[in-house]
Order: sequence, then structure tokens, then C-alpha cells
Amino acid sequence: MKPRILLALFIIPLGLIIAAVPQNKTRPYKLTANEMLNEANTRTQFVTSETVADMIVNKDPLLQLIDVRSQEDFERYSLPGAINIPLPDLLSDQYADILNQDVRMNVFYSNGTLSANEAWMITRQLGYSNNYVLEGGLNYWFDTILNPQKPLSTNSDEEFAKYDFRKGAGQALGGGAVVQSEQTQTGSAAKPVVKAAPKKKKASGGC
Amino acid sequence: MGPLVVNELISENTNLFLAFIIGIAFGFVLESSGFSSSRKLAGVFYGYDTVVLKVFFTAAITAMLGLLFFSLFGWVDLNLVYVNPTYLTSAIVGGVIMGAGFIIGGYCPGTSFCGASIGKIDGMVFIGGLFIGVLIFGLGYNLWDNLYMAKDMGSPKVSESLGMSDGLFALILIIVALAMFTFAEWAERKFPREEY
Repeated sequence: MKPRILLALFIIPLGLIIAAVPQNKTRPYKLTANEMLNEANTRTQFVTSETVADMIVNKDPLLQLIDVRSQEDFERYSLPGAINIPLPDLLSDQYADILNQDVRMNVFYSNGTLSANEAWMITRQLGYSNNYVLEGGLNYWFDTILNPQKPLSTNSDEEFAKYDFRKGAGQALGGGAVVQSEQTQTGSAAKPVVKAAPKKKKASGGC
Repeated sequence: MGPLVVNELISENTNLFLAFIIGIAFGFVLESSGFSSSRKLAGVFYGYDTVVLKVFFTAAITAMLGLLFFSLFGWVDLNLVYVNPTYLTSAIVGGVIMGAGFIIGGYCPGTSFCGASIGKIDGMVFIGGLFIGVLIFGLGYNLWDNLYMAKDMGSPKVSESLGMSDGLFALILIIVALAMFTFAEWAERKFPREEY
């Protein structure tokens, strides 16, 4: 038999099989319990409230806030631009495209961090990337962004910079703080200026 | 399971080592099938020897079927397999230059090394020309980087552009390839050469 006929007899059936079977869309990639524990321990899933506030104020198109609380809670209060995916509906098909993508940065939040972390663990286990958790949840959000505590005068400049940023962001996001901290007060400070928090901490003190 | 590197089943260095072994095996098979002869390679353009077409298309189909079946069995995640991005203009221009070089020199880059390694002088000259080309491209990059980066299409798959499943496209490609082999062998009978 000619080699070409032999080849045809072999690969045409294989081609027919591969054309007939549905494509395998399941992702075999899963994290083992150890890897999951490791990821949870390194806490890389958390983004700070400052980072999120900065992104909201700057209208960063990459940010996608996802409220995993119930719909009633969501309607009562939610962060600007957030969408509501209640935790029990997390695996519903209509949200799959939102949760499984490589472009935007999904940030889950709940009142504390428990529900948001659960959502993160489930999506992480499915192999989705780009999902994060708002550190401290809405409770911490209120404490730090909407109602920040003025640092003591003995605190470092860094603390004051952070406070000023939080206060500015808080005002931009409808919080209650109005008083400028003394350290940075200027004569014509009519409008609160949202300053970006320093991204990397420099070594403070010492020589 | 796969790809092995992406899922960190093997390290980057192991990957390079495997590529080295596979590369040597590839070169050996290439040489022993007569791909170090520029006359044989150029034959595909004149029709007297179409082994290049047959070998490379068979290799492509084998790899394609292998990947699709591996994906079907869950052995490899095709979403994690790197696909070269397509820049349409430079693909066409580069294809024309490469084809012209193939006819003139009688080699493609890989087979020129194959020929040079067994001491063929035309293979070595071809490699010299290859490096001159690399140098010209690199030094004159500013002149053609617009052309080079034009029409970035990302990493499209033909099956996706045609709106069909990967498997169906594979079947069509297999049939097209077999038809092409038949045509190639007809050409070999039509334009025979005694010695080359």
C-alpha cells in the first residue's frame, strides 16, 4: 500500500473523531490544598482600602468592585461603581465572564472579610486570576476612608500623609471628615486634594 | 497537566534542556531525510521533489492532532499554550522575503544549519547571508518598525476567525493536506529530474 494511502487511513479517522467530539473547555488546572494554603498565608489576595479608594477617585477603568453581600445590603449601601454578586449566586453562569477574565481587577468586598475571602477562595480554586479582596471589608473602609482618625502629633510624617490621603479620598467619596491635619495645612486650602498614598514605604527614621 | 513549564511541573532550565534534546533529534532526522541538500529543498518550487512540503505538512498535522487529543483528554490546557502574535503586514512581507531566499539559496534557516553541520559550503554561505540579514534588520530597525508592527491581530486562530470548532478545522486541514500530497506527487511525475 502506498504510504500516502496508509497515512490517509490513519489520520482521516482521527480528524473525524476530533471534529465530532466537543471541545474540552474544562480547565484541568486546580490548586492543591497545599498551594491554596500557601496563597492564603501570603495574603496576596488583599488590596488595601487606600489602593481601592485611589482607584475609585481616579476612575481607574481596571477596577471592578464586586459586592458579595445580599441584594438588600447592596441597595442600602455600596461602594461607587460596584456590582452585586451575592455569594450564593457566585457560580451562576451569568457571572462567569466577569469573574474569569484577565483584564480587569476584581475586588470582592463584604462587611468584614469573611464572605469576600470565601468568594476569592472559590474563584481561585477554579483557576481564575485577577480576583482580590478588599482588606478589612466595609467596616475597615468606614474606619479608614470615610471616617479616618487624625494621627497623634507625635506620629511620623508618613502617618500624616496617609491620613491626608484618606481624608481627601473620604471627602471625594462622600465621607464626613472636613478638618485638615495641621501638618500640611496651607492658607488657601479650599478644596481637599486627593493625594496618592506613597506606593512604597521608605525606610523612616535613623540616619 | 500540561503545559509543563506553565504549571511548574518542570523548571525553565529543564525546559531548555528538553528543547536542546528535541532540537538535536530534529536536526538528525532532518539530515537523514536528505534535508541538507539544497537541490532537494529547491525541488519543491520546481516540482521535481516535494518531500519538503510532505514532511512539514505531515509534521504540522501530527502536532495539531496530538495537541487536540491531548486537550480532549485533559493532558494539556490549550489556553495556556503560547501562540505567536500575528502582525499581518510583516508576516506577508517576511513570507515573501523568506520564500525568495529559499529559492535563491536553496535552504530555509533550519536546513542551512543542517547542511553546514555536514560541511556543505553553500549551507555556510547561506548562514553568512542570514546573519547579514539579521544585522541589516537590527541596524535599520527604525526604518521599518512601523511596517514591522503594523496590523497587530493579537493571537488569532484560523478556526476562530472562520467561526468553526478547532476539530472541524483540523479535519478540513487534513483533507486539504492529503489533496496537496496527491497534487505534489502528480507534479513529481510531471516534472521529473534524473539526478539532483
